[in-house]
Amino acid sequence: MTIPSMLEWIESTNLSIAIREGGLPYPIIGGVHLLAIALFGGMLLATDLRLLGWTMRSRPFSDVWHQFRPWKRVGFVIVVVTGLLLAWAEPVRLYDSPSFWVKMALFALVGVHALVFRAKVYGHPEQLDAGISSRAKLAAALSLILWAGLVVSGRLIAFDASFEPVSPSESRLTHHSPSSQ
Amino acid sequence: MLAEFFRWLVNSPWSHVINGYEWIFPAIQSLHFIGFALSIGTIAIVDLRLLGLGMRRQAPAELAADLAPWTLAGIAVMLITGPLMFSTDAVAYHFNPSFQFKMLCLMLALLFHFTLHRRAVHPDTPPIAAKLAAVTSLLLWTAVVGGGRMIAFI
Repeated sequence: MTIPSMLEWIESTNLSIAIREGGLPYPIIGGVHLLAIALFGGMLLATDLRLLGWTMRSRPFSDVWHQFRPWKRVGFVIVVVTGLLLAWAEPVRLYDSPSFWVKMALFALVGVHALVFRAKVYGHPEQLDAGISSRAKLAAALSLILWAGLVVSGRLIAFDASFEPVSPSESRLTHHSPSSQ
Repeated sequence: MLAEFFRWLVNSPWSHVINGYEWIFPAIQSLHFIGFALSIGTIAIVDLRLLGLGMRRQAPAELAADLAPWTLAGIAVMLITGPLMFSTDAVAYHFNPSFQFKMLCLMLALLFHFTLHRRAVHPDTPPIAAKLAAVTSLLLWTAVVGGGRMIAFI
């Protein structure tokens, strides 16, 4: 099965059609995606800012890490599931969108980041209670950059040529709606 | 009067700059997203704590005090980037029902955040009142984000 035919098959599934052409499902899934970004992002920012020493300094890092971790996981799962649903709705256009591929590359880097810093930073949060190592601060700074990059590249997808080019004469307000195609 | 103000906004130097380059609008929108993740995300942390759903290693008042500067920073970013986006197409936003809904919810959410929500984290607040405040806060901010997402659709 070639990639184009696979993407076309995805677009022909009932789920894909229902999200793409059903009217409300697309913005609702998009809204949940955004809310989960706020939830997951808030937890991630709080954790990274603690590592950088910019908030909750009176708390040991392990406290911060353990208390945010379950909710970070919940937020992450919701972001990924809603993101997959949004992608399932329009795989052909996403395939042609450079921002989408930038976002996927950054997503892969998030995985690399987790693997690289697992041993010395995130795997043993108690070891950082005595003092935050510079390696841990680097991990936090990179995590913030990756996260911001994911938000920016995700937002840019809606503005890529494969979606709808912005023409100055028409309102931007409706141009990321799939139904306005 | 209002129409004149909108016309002035749309023709303002910053609207021309934002409308002049394709990448500026999405860049401002991305900042807006980061701003609301920072503000609403940190508010949600306090709300979940008030509901007893985690973050139990810190008292609600301590969490709220620790996160307050970042919540404010996020709100500031939102309140700068939001009006900038509004300026570029003021009339269309003004008549957009989702936008009107969002602005109503935003005003209520901000008012609630700086009044009752502040008192909810106080140790003397009865738990039921604190929980009610947390649910109200989560619902208001959810409505703000939901309304914002719908602007592009309705």
